[in-house]
Amino acid sequence: MFRDIFNYTLIASTIRLATPLILASTGGLFSERSGVINIALEGMMLAGAFTAAVVTVFTANPWIGLLAAVVAGVLVAGIHGIATINFRADQVVSGTAINILFLGVPALLSGALFASTGATPQLPRDQVLPDLLIFDAQSSPMLASIFNQKPLVYFAVLVVALSVYILKRTRFGLRLRAVGENPEAADTAGVSVRGMRYSGVLISGALAALGGAYLSIGQNSLFTRNMTAGRGFIALAALIFGKWDPIGAMLACILFGFAEAISIRMQGTVDIPNQFIQMIPYILTMVFLAGLIRRATPPKSLGIPYVKE
Amino acid sequence: MNRILPLLIILAFVLSSGCTTRDIAAESDGNKIKVGIVFDIGGKDDRSFNAAANVGVQRAKKDFPIVLRDVEPGDPTSIEPALRAFAQYGYNLITGVGFAQGPILKQVATDYPQLHFVLIDSVADLPNVASLLFKEHEGSFLVGMIAAYKNKTGTIGFVGGMDIPLIHKFATGYEEGARYVNPKIRVLKNYVGITDAAWNNPGKGRELANSQYEQGADVIFQAAGNSGLGVFDAAEAYNKFAIGVDANQNWVKPGHILTSMLKRIDNAVYSVVQDEVAGKFKGGVHVYGLENNGVDYALDQYNRDLIPAWVIEKVDQAKRDIIEGRIKVTDAMVQ
Repeated sequence: MFRDIFNYTLIASTIRLATPLILASTGGLFSERSGVINIALEGMMLAGAFTAAVVTVFTANPWIGLLAAVVAGVLVAGIHGIATINFRADQVVSGTAINILFLGVPALLSGALFASTGATPQLPRDQVLPDLLIFDAQSSPMLASIFNQKPLVYFAVLVVALSVYILKRTRFGLRLRAVGENPEAADTAGVSVRGMRYSGVLISGALAALGGAYLSIGQNSLFTRNMTAGRGFIALAALIFGKWDPIGAMLACILFGFAEAISIRMQGTVDIPNQFIQMIPYILTMVFLAGLIRRATPPKSLGIPYVKE
Repeated sequence: MNRILPLLIILAFVLSSGCTTRDIAAESDGNKIKVGIVFDIGGKDDRSFNAAANVGVQRAKKDFPIVLRDVEPGDPTSIEPALRAFAQYGYNLITGVGFAQGPILKQVATDYPQLHFVLIDSVADLPNVASLLFKEHEGSFLVGMIAAYKNKTGTIGFVGGMDIPLIHKFATGYEEGARYVNPKIRVLKNYVGITDAAWNNPGKGRELANSQYEQGADVIFQAAGNSGLGVFDAAEAYNKFAIGVDANQNWVKPGHILTSMLKRIDNAVYSVVQDEVAGKFKGGVHVYGLENNGVDYALDQYNRDLIPAWVIEKVDQAKRDIIEGRIKVTDAMVQ
């Protein structure tokens, strides 16, 4: 029984489950470090997932689909940016509006495109993002199972590493953080608060959309209504849980992916009612949040619109 | 300047609610029978349960002079307003698709005793409600047999959507069918979730199927709505087999879908509309099983080469045995 749950497929499964979360949560990080709450990650993921699937259906090329998803994510993030940065709207309300919007938009557009209400046609196997064939599945099934993943998996790791570097070592990162902590001071020093916040929000849209695209044209081969099933919110929780730090957020996403992978393998193997098993990822998150991560301090100006004096 | 937000929100609501009451009211076409249908959360493009119901009403629309309007609720809270909107505008026959609509439809049907209602997969004990039930366990028994005949590894799998008694009915029938062929077969059973989001999570469906294929399963029966489409993706990736559900899904991934457990919701819904048009609507419980082709397994050009003729003979024999009572299949909802 123990070996049914804890074996190398658990690691492979954890990686697959954590990837969309890592992309979305790192995206959210850029937005929130600049001072803009991004509760719209879910909607941005849906926008990315839908656009990727639609464009791949028409072009038969998942890479173009992926690119289109980034564009869609940036556009949606633009709405959030205009509402919250230009018009100083409440950031939570704007984010919620976007989430609701993207429950409806795919249904509307897929009706026009495919005479369906929210689902896209299923793509053939050779039109979804391929697995990278790093190891041979015959001679080393374990390494193949763990490392032969979608390119987006490796991209997610790269994004996290880059984020650490950008935030801590570059001028852009310093300014982004300054704007999130103390926009008045940054403004006085000649940093464009508006520009930095737009950058943060737009980057978050692009990355969250990639997380969504991973679901629709990576892991699966179609878009269905609301297929993110709350992953955007989990990514947001991971971001807070990881104390608005790229590595911390990534570890939180991996923890969540791991907990879900375990719960998948425990179902039917262990004699515990399924309802309890399905709670594991959430309980684990709460326990860690309450027990290990004592205090998560958000960027000081998070959620506060900046008014130039 | 702050006006953009309320505008955004209004836009969002208009878009997300899709078909609204205005839409329902717009059609008041003379004396035609008006038929309204409220789908389950999966939506009519799930290529499965809701799609089958949609096929039924669409066929009825072609054959009879009826006005047809449908609503796809985005979440469970919009089911009741949709049912009530149809009732307020005097739709003659209002259909609720899915067990989740049971209590709500019963309430609405009590408030509008002069209208006729159809409830699929649940029972509302009222004279103006036709409750359509299916013997899913019998159909699942047959596809369980096919799975066991095709099986080479000694392990097969089942992926259900929401962990509820209705889906246990599929699982139990499937397991009994497989055991009927091979008493020692191992049946892995997983469920996507415990809320209605479980019907719309193909990512998790895929991951559950991955884990079952990795544990040695070579055939997986899915009864999971949209999440089941993720099971098909996994079948293709692992070059193994999956079994479809409700509608004939053999075409979705040809060569990887062994068969589909048909639940002829289309025929059942069609015949209720037919009765309504003829003025012969009958309330009460209508049961559809193998004996009246309410459930079955699918055989068409996509899977004929996957199932040997002798297997089909055995399965058809078992079908006769079930109809004539020689094989008893457990109904997990009765226990």
